[in-house]
This record gives sequence, structure tokens and C-alpha cells, in this order.
Amino acid sequence: MERKHFLKSLLAGVASAPVLLAACGKEDSVTPTTITATTTGTTSGSGSCTVVPTETEGPFPTHTPSSYVRADITDGKAGYKLTATLTVTNSNSSCTALTGVLVDIWHCDAEGNYSEYGGSGTQSTNYTAVHFLRGRQTTDANGQVVFTSIFPGWYSGRATHIHVHVYTASGTSLKVTQIAFPEGTGTAVAAVGGYAKGLTGYTSNKSDNVFSDDTAGVQLASVTGSTSAGFQLAFTLAVPA
Amino acid sequence: MTERTITLCYRKLIDASATRPWDKLVFAATYREFCLQAQYFNQEKRYHSLAELLQHAPGAAQLPFLVSGAVRGYLQQLNGQVPDVADNLGRLFLKFTQFQFNLLASDVLDQARHQVAINFYSEPLVWHDTVGPYLLVSAPPGTATAGEIPTRLFQIQPYLSIHSLQATG
Repeated sequence: MERKHFLKSLLAGVASAPVLLAACGKEDSVTPTTITATTTGTTSGSGSCTVVPTETEGPFPTHTPSSYVRADITDGKAGYKLTATLTVTNSNSSCTALTGVLVDIWHCDAEGNYSEYGGSGTQSTNYTAVHFLRGRQTTDANGQVVFTSIFPGWYSGRATHIHVHVYTASGTSLKVTQIAFPEGTGTAVAAVGGYAKGLTGYTSNKSDNVFSDDTAGVQLASVTGSTSAGFQLAFTLAVPA
Repeated sequence: MTERTITLCYRKLIDASATRPWDKLVFAATYREFCLQAQYFNQEKRYHSLAELLQHAPGAAQLPFLVSGAVRGYLQQLNGQVPDVADNLGRLFLKFTQFQFNLLASDVLDQARHQVAINFYSEPLVWHDTVGPYLLVSAPPGTATAGEIPTRLFQIQPYLSIHSLQATG
């Protein structure tokens, strides 16, 4: 079977599913019912209906923001503290501050790993576990967001970096970019020293496939501080809004 | 019958036909998150369906994980209780901590095509006996208890399955 048709048949199967649920689920609890079941094929045995829940449904569900919406994205990850202040300006309007836009950031942990469970998608996960080192905030009147995190580690083939995605308030993508870190003697990258794995095999910005063309240093953040006091990162990005 | 310890999996499908408040909130939140996150893998705006993204856009396989960030807050609202699945007295009784989120279909241009599934994996239960179409279960004893133990009687229903089994007798 062609993949396309296979997918279609898969979707058709899924689409028909809610009918079965609707047949046996009741939104509001009433008394236990003795409806004759209309479930066909899927249940073994008697196929009789299941008693509907008669309990009040927990606390009434409330609108909950995405778990990315937070200022501290550390989630208990070990590492040197990093406070990242990002300022978003409008390149279509004399670089004035952009208020009320969404800023997503994500980066790897001290070992160079991103949060993502079960790459194959077959693994279950604890719902209290978190999407560590990923966050989303809305820019304030100064076009700023401030995230608390840890200094990113690194992984093979890439210089130290933080991913950034800026969206309008309604969610339309304005800019996808990455923030580079100054490197060399006296920099934060040198002070952190690549954490446990050291800096052997580290990819410098000029060899990095994302940053190598940034000769003007537009993607380069200002990073100050120390391993004991923590680091402060400042970065301004102009986006066309 | 040999006593066995089982865990159950309840697969909750949520799509545009959702009517319950929690389901509708999850539907809207995951669709919005999909629309946000999909743009990263679709910067040239060439694709609009999840199937196209998965087939053509490198890295788009991360989308289920990325979209699941929108659902975690709603899972916490359930207070560890698997929704919908009631025992024969109509009481919710399954506890969970493990879940898996699936993005089944979606389309940035058509919310009606958005479909997700949440698999809830129950805490272990001791399966004592089978009474007609019902399974008689109890929570595993935390410490050795003598005498009577509280039990639950429930029926395997569509989208509810035994996920794992361990003989204990």
C-alpha cells in the first residue's frame, strides 16, 4: 500500500473513533443507564454499556497557559546560573521596542542535551516531568523578556548557542534565530570551560554552520559575569513587524 | 485464579467534536501550540498539514513532544485521576502519573482536522478475579494487610486496555 493511502486509512480509522466514545460516554452524569449497547466489533464479551461516571467532575477545568510560559526555565538542571535579557525591536519602525510579542527560547543542558522524551515517541513520561530549558514570555513595554536559566553546554558540531523564536501576539512567526556567545580568553565560554566534557573538539563560532556567516556579529550576545556570581546575557534582536 | 498485577492504558482521543470543557480546552491549547511550533519547521510556509510536515520537514518529528508542552498543565488539573473510566458504581478510580501524548493529525489552515490522543497509563492494580464481563481489582497493598481489602469492579471498554501484566501469585 502506498504511504499516502496507508495514512489516509489510518486517519479514517481515527476519525471514526469518537463515535464509539460518544456512544458509551455521557457528558453529564445521570443515573446508571441500561441502554442497549450499539458498540460494534470493538468490545469483546457482552458488549454491554459501561456505567457512566456519577461523580462530579473534579475542579472545573480552567484555561492553563502552555507549560513553556515561565521566567525560570531551569527545572532543577545543574549548571552556572544564566540570566538572559532579550530585547525585541521593530526593524520596520526605526527599531522601536516591540511590546506584546511572544519570545520562545530553548537550549541544551550542561551536558549538551535538549529536553525531549523518547525520540521514537513510544515512551511514556511522567506528567509532572518538564520541558526543561524551554520557555516563553511576552515582551514588556520595553520590548524585553528576562529568562533565568543555566549556561548552556555544547555538543559536537555546534558552538554554544540559544535558540530564539519570536511570534506576534496572535502567534505568527516573526523571526527564528540563534544567539551566539563570545569566545576566547576571558569570556564566559572559556570560564565555563564546556562543563564536564571540556572544550576539546569544541566548534568555534567561525567554524559553526549557523554563525560562520555572521561576520558583523549580529547574532553575538553580550555575556558578563562569573561562574560564582552567575552570568548575564544581553541580546537585542530586530524583527520586521 | 492466580492473582496478577496489571496496569491499564486508557487512550483518550480528542478532536473537533469534543464537547466536555476539559477536552475542548486541550483541543484548543494543543492546536494553538501546534500552529506556533510548526512554523519553526516550515519557515518557507510550504506545508500546512501535519502529515506533510512529518514527511518533508526535517526535525518535524519533534512536534508531538513540543506540542505536549501545552497539555501538561491540563494533566495536572486532573490530580492524577484518569478521566472518563469509571468503575461499575460510576466512580472514577484509575490513578496515573505516566502519560504519552500523540499528535494524530493537524493542519495549520484547518482546525477541524486537528486530532490528538492522550494515553494514560494507570498505576498498578491487583487483578483478583473476573466476574462476568467485569474485572475485580484492588490497589496493591502498601504494606502487608490482613483481612478485607477495598476492591473495584470495572469493565474493559473501548479505548481501555491492559497495558502490562505481572504474575504475583
